[in-house]
Amino acid sequence: MIEVGRICLKICGRDGGRECVIVDILDDNYVLIDGNVRRRKCNIFHLESTPKKIDIKKGASHEDVKKEFSKLKIDVWETKPKEKKEKPRKIRKKKVQEVAKEGKTEKKKAEKKPIDARVVSVTKKETNEKIAVKKKAVKEPVKKE
Amino acid sequence: MPQPRKKSRSLRRIHVRTPGGRTTIHYKHSKPKSAKCGKCGAVLKGIIRERPFKMRKVGKTKKRPTRPYGGVLCTKCTRALFIEKARK
Repeated sequence: MIEVGRICLKICGRDGGRECVIVDILDDNYVLIDGNVRRRKCNIFHLESTPKKIDIKKGASHEDVKKEFSKLKIDVWETKPKEKKEKPRKIRKKKVQEVAKEGKTEKKKAEKKPIDARVVSVTKKETNEKIAVKKKAVKEPVKKE
Repeated sequence: MPQPRKKSRSLRRIHVRTPGGRTTIHYKHSKPKSAKCGKCGAVLKGIIRERPFKMRKVGKTKKRPTRPYGGVLCTKCTRALFIEKARK
C-alpha cells in the first residue's frame, strides 16, 4: 500500500531493482522517494510495494533515512557533489587570425637587420621624385578644364 | 562485366554519377539486423545497426541503454523480473 514509511522496489529507470522508502505523498499519481535511490519524485505505477515498513516522519531528511536503513543493513545512495569547471572562453576565428598576424609582424620587426645609411638616403630621393611626378599629373587635367 | 567476386547477392548496388557524365555502379555492404530480446525475441531500442569495425569505434552509450539489463532484455521482461522479486 502507499503510505509514508513503506518500503518499495523501483521497477523502471536507471535505479531499477533497488529498494526505496516513501517519504511524502504529493498527488494522486506522484510520490517522494529516498533510500538506495536518487532523491526525487516518482510515479506510483513505477513502484512495487513490499511487506516491510519503517518508522519515519512525513518529509524526513536524507540523514534520518540513513539511520533507519543501517538497521536493516541496506545501502543508501549518495550523490557526488558536482565540481565546478571554468568554461573556456570561445574566441571567434577572425580574432584568432588577427592575434596570429600581430605576433608575426612583431617577430619580423625584431628580426629585421639595421639598414645602411647610404641606401636609406638613395631610396628617400626616389620616393620623393615619384610623389612629385604624381602631383604634376593630377594638376594638368584641372587646368585644361 | 563486373568482377566475379562482386556478383554476390549480399552486396548492394549503387548508381554513381561521375564528373565525366557517365553513371557507374559501386558495391557496398548492407547493415546487419537489429538486436533482439533474449527472452521474447522483440526488437530492442537504443542500439545502432553497424558493421563490427564501426561498432568498435563508437562509444558505449550508443550500444545499450543506461538501465539494468539494457541491451539484453526488453522493458516488459525486466519489469516482470523485478515484480517477481518483490512479491517473494
